[in-house]
Amino acid sequence: MPLFEQIAEQMPIVFRSLNEGFLQTLKLFFVTLLGALPLGLLISFGSMSRFKPLKWLTRMFVGIIRGTPLMIQLLIFFYFPGLVLKQNIWGSGEAGRFAAASIAFIINYACYFSEIYRGGIQGIPVGQEEAGLVLGMKPGQIFFKVKLMQMVKRIVPPISNEIITLVKDTSLARIISLQEVIWAGQAFMKGSQGISGAIWPLFFTGVYYLVWNGVLSWGLGKLEKKLDYFR
Amino acid sequence: MKKMMVMLLALVLALGMCTVYAEDASDKQYVLDKGVLVVGITDFAPMDYKDADGNWIGFDADLANAFGEYLGVKVEFVEIDWDNKILELDAKAVDCIWNGMTLTDAVKAAMETSNPYMNNAQVVVVAADKAADYQTVESLKDLTFAVEAGSAGEAEVNALGLANNPVLAQADALMEVAAGTSDAAVIDALMAAAMVGEGTSYENLTYTIGLNSEEYGVGFRKGSDLAAELNAFLVAKYEDGTLMQIAETYKVQAAVIPQVAAE
Repeated sequence: MPLFEQIAEQMPIVFRSLNEGFLQTLKLFFVTLLGALPLGLLISFGSMSRFKPLKWLTRMFVGIIRGTPLMIQLLIFFYFPGLVLKQNIWGSGEAGRFAAASIAFIINYACYFSEIYRGGIQGIPVGQEEAGLVLGMKPGQIFFKVKLMQMVKRIVPPISNEIITLVKDTSLARIISLQEVIWAGQAFMKGSQGISGAIWPLFFTGVYYLVWNGVLSWGLGKLEKKLDYFR
Repeated sequence: MKKMMVMLLALVLALGMCTVYAEDASDKQYVLDKGVLVVGITDFAPMDYKDADGNWIGFDADLANAFGEYLGVKVEFVEIDWDNKILELDAKAVDCIWNGMTLTDAVKAAMETSNPYMNNAQVVVVAADKAADYQTVESLKDLTFAVEAGSAGEAEVNALGLANNPVLAQADALMEVAAGTSDAAVIDALMAAAMVGEGTSYENLTYTIGLNSEEYGVGFRKGSDLAAELNAFLVAKYEDGTLMQIAETYKVQAAVIPQVAAE
């Protein structure tokens, strides 16, 4: 089979290139989670605030971010400062693109997470809060000692869903030329490192996503089991 | 709600003020101060491509490195999405586009371009066994073409009123012909010479006639003084033979346009 021979011959070069790309994908994935998980909690507090202007402003912000495509947000975050403010704040080269992509992803995912947190917190029966107050607990104590861990348990399935979507969404960053794994795979179609017109590397990137999502699903399933004790 | 509108308006105004300030006087000074010339490229052999160690080489890459040396700044290559090249320049994400760029009217209107330094043509690519039937422009009228969206090839095909499918890249256009989803493609002659025919990934394809001739140039931000600087550099390097020497390394010497000083 000449096709398989050709693939075997191209494999070492393609493999190295895809690994490099996937490293970028993973970096973006972890940075986004690290930033968006806490920021999401902060935003959820804003959208549940009893101070009305803050609540409205937060909800409007979440509405705008959730209502527009992440791809457009990436373009705006990366190009807007240089185009309109005449000052490219991201610095040159790959690092600047990565920084812009990280910020856009963190803000976008924090908005989705905030709604999941809100659902988790507001879904806890009001009786528990009333019981806490009767026992003389302060609102802060009630949140951290009674509600928080129950919320964490409840939100693991929907957050898992978002996390798995995030792995695949990282590919959108190629719109600002962040060289993640899809970019690396696609490069061989046009011609790169002596290989041109090869479409299989692009399809092969799917394996990377599949394996990584498999690992994540397994880990998140474990976490869910561990939290079972809360109910 | 009214308060919010006022706040938003204030924000917009504040942003507007920022724009008034930071207009640069000289683009050359901006690059010199920064100490680095950021060159926007794509992976496009033989103009810009990576060697085995991952360094950018090619006719354009070598020339860009020499230009950096001449200016006394470092050169940094950044791979960009070709569709976004004007955006990349204007946003100062890159300082020039140096990647076998055809000097179309659209490019000249949006960028400060250098003098042309290389000749190119848009050629028709068809399956090799049918090549004999498509040697004239008239014979092309029943074909469906694959062309890169926004490319010079697309402009030619549209000018001739031929049916076409716009695709993302020139390589995708070749894929369309190889897969039979389009009858023919129109791509750069330099690229066709490198990518179709015997000893390439597309052995069953070949290229026939050229639809036009065109020239490559380097693009800078509109109004940049670096374009004139590069023109002077090209003349100097043509006269001392460096330009032809680099061209011979990449076997493109036949296409080089002689550089002469302006009167």
